[in-house]
Amino acid sequence: MTMATNSAVSGHAAGDQEHASHGQEIAGHVILAPSAVKDKLVGTTEAGATRFRKWAIILTVLAAIGLLGLVLKYLQSSDDQTKWGYTAAVAAFLLTIGGGAPLVAVAPVLAKANWVRPLTRLASAFSLVGVVTMIVMIPLVAILPPLITEGARRRSIWFESPDWTPHIFIFLAMGTLLMAGLGLFYTTALPDFAAMRDHSTGRRQRWGKMLARGWVGTTVQWRTLRMRIGMFGTFYFLMLIYVHFLFTSDFAMGVVPGWRDAIFPMYHAMSSIQGGIAVTIIAAWAGRRYLGLEDYLRLDQFWSLGRLLFASSLLWIYFFFSAFIVFWYGRSMADIAWVDLFIRGPMIWAFIPAMFMSFLVPWWWLIWNRIRTSVNGPAIGAAIVLIGLLLDRIRIYVSSWAVPPDEIHDKYLKHIPGTVWPDVFDYMIIVGSIGASALIVMLAFRLVPIVSIWQTQEYQLLSKPVKYIRGHGVLVAKPD
Amino acid sequence: MADRSILGMFQEAEPAADAMDGLARAGFEPGTFDVLTGTPYPEGAFGEYVPQHRLFRFPAFGAIIGFTTSILLTAGTQIAFPLVTGGKPILSLFAMVIIMYEMTMLSAVIATVIGIIFESRLPNMNPGAYDERITEGWIGVVISVDTTRAQEAESVLKTAGALEIKHAS
Repeated sequence: MTMATNSAVSGHAAGDQEHASHGQEIAGHVILAPSAVKDKLVGTTEAGATRFRKWAIILTVLAAIGLLGLVLKYLQSSDDQTKWGYTAAVAAFLLTIGGGAPLVAVAPVLAKANWVRPLTRLASAFSLVGVVTMIVMIPLVAILPPLITEGARRRSIWFESPDWTPHIFIFLAMGTLLMAGLGLFYTTALPDFAAMRDHSTGRRQRWGKMLARGWVGTTVQWRTLRMRIGMFGTFYFLMLIYVHFLFTSDFAMGVVPGWRDAIFPMYHAMSSIQGGIAVTIIAAWAGRRYLGLEDYLRLDQFWSLGRLLFASSLLWIYFFFSAFIVFWYGRSMADIAWVDLFIRGPMIWAFIPAMFMSFLVPWWWLIWNRIRTSVNGPAIGAAIVLIGLLLDRIRIYVSSWAVPPDEIHDKYLKHIPGTVWPDVFDYMIIVGSIGASALIVMLAFRLVPIVSIWQTQEYQLLSKPVKYIRGHGVLVAKPD
Repeated sequence: MADRSILGMFQEAEPAADAMDGLARAGFEPGTFDVLTGTPYPEGAFGEYVPQHRLFRFPAFGAIIGFTTSILLTAGTQIAFPLVTGGKPILSLFAMVIIMYEMTMLSAVIATVIGIIFESRLPNMNPGAYDERITEGWIGVVISVDTTRAQEAESVLKTAGALEIKHAS
């Protein structure tokens, strides 16, 4: 099938031809009939029912295993903080990818990028992962030491706050982020719930009717929708950076004596954006492949996301190195302990592949134009990045939580703990929480199409193929 | 009093805009007629009446409430349980800012969610005349009129090229 929008100014021969039986191709630019868009995208909520059911059962079983692992681990190790590193790592990983993905739905839209419109539903749906992240965080918060231990106030960002402050405020912050994410997802899905109400059948139609809440597409409704998307997007961004600041301070720096790093929270937030882009690419690749969305999730989207993933991989090394160089040259006992704990110490097995898979390999892979201008190339790069980020979170949080709590008041870490390997409960929690996250996103796409109907129509409404000197291009209107 | 809702259905944007112009020329009050679309056309594309919105009041109001509460909470707890940390004053702004920011944002987000209910005019219990084809690309021009002018409104819609007329009371 000919892809279209990669030829912004291309040498395609002029002329119209039927495309994919429900659209037209003009100079390499595919124009889809609105009714065909509606039929196809509403149809995605029912497509592949057998395969969906199979995956839903597998993921539900995994989620149940994860929940069981979490409960059993709490019953067995609720008094031993050093056993919870992998749980903290998986919570950080879910925050990294699930928290970062909705920014793909926000940032390019605020910058008036047209290519992102078919991706915004996919990206914003990952805010639902916040539910799983909060569940995984419950035992972690319970185990986190209070601010005042053994009569002394431990080092934290909560300088003069009451004893259980971090436990309350980290949850409030996560809750606010989740609320902003759900607000963004629901607001952008509102017109499509109306489409489900009008054109779906059975249970989906009933859900559409309930969730559309009488949407008919008046001027006022569209106007408020646009404003809400802007507001929730802004709130989401402001909260995401803040949540990373709290999460890294309370769950990493706060439990390692002598670790003071102003760059680490930003490194964490930045790699979350990298993870968010990566998971959006993977989801788009899967949607395109398994739901037959070649005309909706086109090369243009993969190309653009590939460039962002490439840029964010460069930022990974920039932020990592900015922090690292201070500890490397600092040479105080606290600095040496940091390098020993996180780089060349017990988790070097995670650090080296994390470095390769978060930066070196994706950088070398995505640097090539031919790789970026393909569908599979960015998807392979994204898969590598996701594995790299999981290993990176394991390196950070397993090392941090391996520090015995009785050393929390020391000026620096005097004894580097040994390598902590995952136990059976850790495997259950890792697999289960990732499975639960995938399940919750998949379920959302049974209620509302994976690609937004109204944003696809808007994408077409605002872009038009034109003749440009002796070539052809796509004219994009930016009316707002 | 408007007791009838009349909907003209169009497949193209241009005749729908003509219908909006025609209704305005015929003397129907701005705000009594509107365009229904399945995708957001640029504002003013149909010459439609765009009422003043109060969208920013909700998050702003929420943020003020949250900010004020957070000042009371942080200052109150620190005055109630004075504890000098790092030789800084009891009421240290930078220590308070962390909680103030969070509570401000929380209240702003909650108020925004509440605002959706009011400002989007949702749930819409009586949407008037509607057609399901609007969510597949058709354009509807809807007008609320009293029975005496219903015929005139319908005539304007037909003259502009409405392919179908629907009624609701």
